[in-house]
Amino acid sequence: MSTEFSRRGVLRAGLATSGAALLSAMPASRLLAQEPEKPSEIIVRAWGGEWVESLKNGVSDRFTEMTGIAVRHDLTEDNEIQPKVWAAVAQGRVPPIHINWDTTTNATKSALRGVTEDISDLDNLANTTDLAKPVGLEGYPLVNTYGYVYVLAYRPEAFPDGAPKSWRDLLDPKFKGRIALYNDGIGFHFPAQVAGGGSLEDIPDNMDACWDFVREMKEQNPLLGEDPDFTTWFQNGEIDAACTISTNALAAKKNGVDLAWTVPEEGCKFDTDCLWIPKGLPDNELYWAKQYINLALSQESQQIWLDGLGLPGVVPGLTPPEGLAGDPSYPTTPADFEHLIRISSAVQVQNESDWFARFKEIMQG
Amino acid sequence: MHVRTGGFPVLIMAVACLPAGTGPGQTLSTRHRNAAMPEIPSKDDTHTTFRYPLRWRIMDALNGGLDRFWPARMSPYTGWALIMPALLLVGVLVLGLFEMADNSLHTLDRATFRLSEAYTLENYQTVMESATYGRVITRSVFAAGLTVFFTLLLALPYAYIMVRTTSSAVRKALLVTLFLPFFIGQVVRAYGLLIILGTTGVANNALGLVGIEPMRLLFNFPAVVFGLVQYMLPFAVLMLAPALTAIPRETETAASSLGANWVQGFRHVVLPMAKPGLIGAGLVVGTLALTDFAMPAMLGGGSQDFIANAIYDQFFRTADQGLGAALALLLVVLGSVIVGIVISIFGAGTLGMGNRK
Repeated sequence: MSTEFSRRGVLRAGLATSGAALLSAMPASRLLAQEPEKPSEIIVRAWGGEWVESLKNGVSDRFTEMTGIAVRHDLTEDNEIQPKVWAAVAQGRVPPIHINWDTTTNATKSALRGVTEDISDLDNLANTTDLAKPVGLEGYPLVNTYGYVYVLAYRPEAFPDGAPKSWRDLLDPKFKGRIALYNDGIGFHFPAQVAGGGSLEDIPDNMDACWDFVREMKEQNPLLGEDPDFTTWFQNGEIDAACTISTNALAAKKNGVDLAWTVPEEGCKFDTDCLWIPKGLPDNELYWAKQYINLALSQESQQIWLDGLGLPGVVPGLTPPEGLAGDPSYPTTPADFEHLIRISSAVQVQNESDWFARFKEIMQG
Repeated sequence: MHVRTGGFPVLIMAVACLPAGTGPGQTLSTRHRNAAMPEIPSKDDTHTTFRYPLRWRIMDALNGGLDRFWPARMSPYTGWALIMPALLLVGVLVLGLFEMADNSLHTLDRATFRLSEAYTLENYQTVMESATYGRVITRSVFAAGLTVFFTLLLALPYAYIMVRTTSSAVRKALLVTLFLPFFIGQVVRAYGLLIILGTTGVANNALGLVGIEPMRLLFNFPAVVFGLVQYMLPFAVLMLAPALTAIPRETETAASSLGANWVQGFRHVVLPMAKPGLIGAGLVVGTLALTDFAMPAMLGGGSQDFIANAIYDQFFRTADQGLGAALALLLVVLGSVIVGIVISIFGAGTLGMGNRK
């Protein structure tokens, strides 16, 4: 068998060999600098109503414009998507969503379980405040995107003497059956600890004061529900006051309900929400999911997204939405935080189940 | 065409379609045709005056397909084949129950939010020692009992009138009214009640017309039971109607001819004879009410949880699958025990079992 070598053939072989050598010697980061294949869509779990509208306007639409990738919003409740994601990761399946918009406490549970991707390589993290960094976790298994306050929302008509000064004002008999709390008590435990005569330093070891005040509140026969319930109850005239996230109060007000909110002297709970990516995504989809979160941390996206929510973001220089500058639900300066109660996610994650159970025990009686 | 004896009913129909002189064991194919038999044209013989009927062709095709799929020698297993899909479905449920039973024996490790490796009865102990779960379980059972009582109380006259009325217009109107709610899901119906019974709803507006101040009709235990009764009524009527239809009208006439007035006849003749229907309907309504989630969640205002709501909380709110599984299994056991007691005392009613206890 004879083999003939032509000049072109030798040149082609030489080029191919040198190309292969170059690729193998190139650092991985250089290779990844090339955009991976774009998926047709990415799925972001979100809360409905004003929440998803704001995310769509501020982040999702901009992401689609910039990348051509469609964004689908999955409105499954955060608590319900959690076991689905956990099961998918445990079984080695591709998770049902690309990005989870979640409460930081819930997300921390997922991070502790080891189902979250590390996103500490996002470029825009460099421009974020301390609020973005998850507390008590290595790196960035999640990134906080804004803060919010569980305010005391009220119908001004029911408080002719002005805003309630204390959570104890709700114990007035005229408010029997006219108050609403979250059905697990979230947002209310910490101010109740103060209103019950206790100290925040005693959380979580001694919360007797909290439970005493919850028992007093139980006598008022409060309604217990979720975010959408509060808006409906205010709209239907079922309640006069509620401990709820300021965004819900703002949404009800935008819908024509005469509503105001305040931070009573005992304080209000301040917490954060975050974005995270579940493990198990194909590499290209993981890349684009990261790009989505990176965009969510950009100044422009934060401004539009959080204008809709009426909440303070995690990048400096944002302009407060109209009417919210100086509002207690929109804290930006250290002075604003003086009346807000912030308990670490680690403490909340470890004790939340017990607090929920105790609250239920009192309220289900 | 090979006609089998026995097997599926469709084959009997096929035999019935054959002309005189053919029957089980005989064939119509030219290959097996007996010369002594009456001349039956071949389906392939286009020159004969007899036209091979289309339904024969269809039956041939069906029978041929059936023969290939389920040969005659498999006939003894036909019953098992028919019940197999249902058995598989139940099997999947049983497997799920085993999985839950296993989960219920592990506690949640809050450092990793996974179930711990060690087996323990701690979750069951938590349920037994918890005043909350005690109240929730008691409330669920009590509400289910009340729902059964009020639903049957309303369903019996409804079903009786529907069955006994001589007016076809009335019967149709009652049937339409009965079936309409089936086209609307439970959640939507509960939401409808929120609108009707709300502080500014239709009910309070009507009360206002007679000078009664608006009152809280929702978010309490009676509201939940009301919602459940409203939801269960069609189920109960549908269970009762066949039982009442089975009571010959003549028995009531006989009672009347012997001097019983309508009330006495209803009490001493209709009610005892409707017992199987009442028990069947009671069992269905009771089990559905005991395990209900939506009505207590939507009409209870958060303070009237049933066991299903407590299970939801553990699975989805606190991510404690072990405790949630323990509660779920206790609900299964509780429901089974209650149903078992009712069946052992009153029989299974129209739910079958040959009317035996």
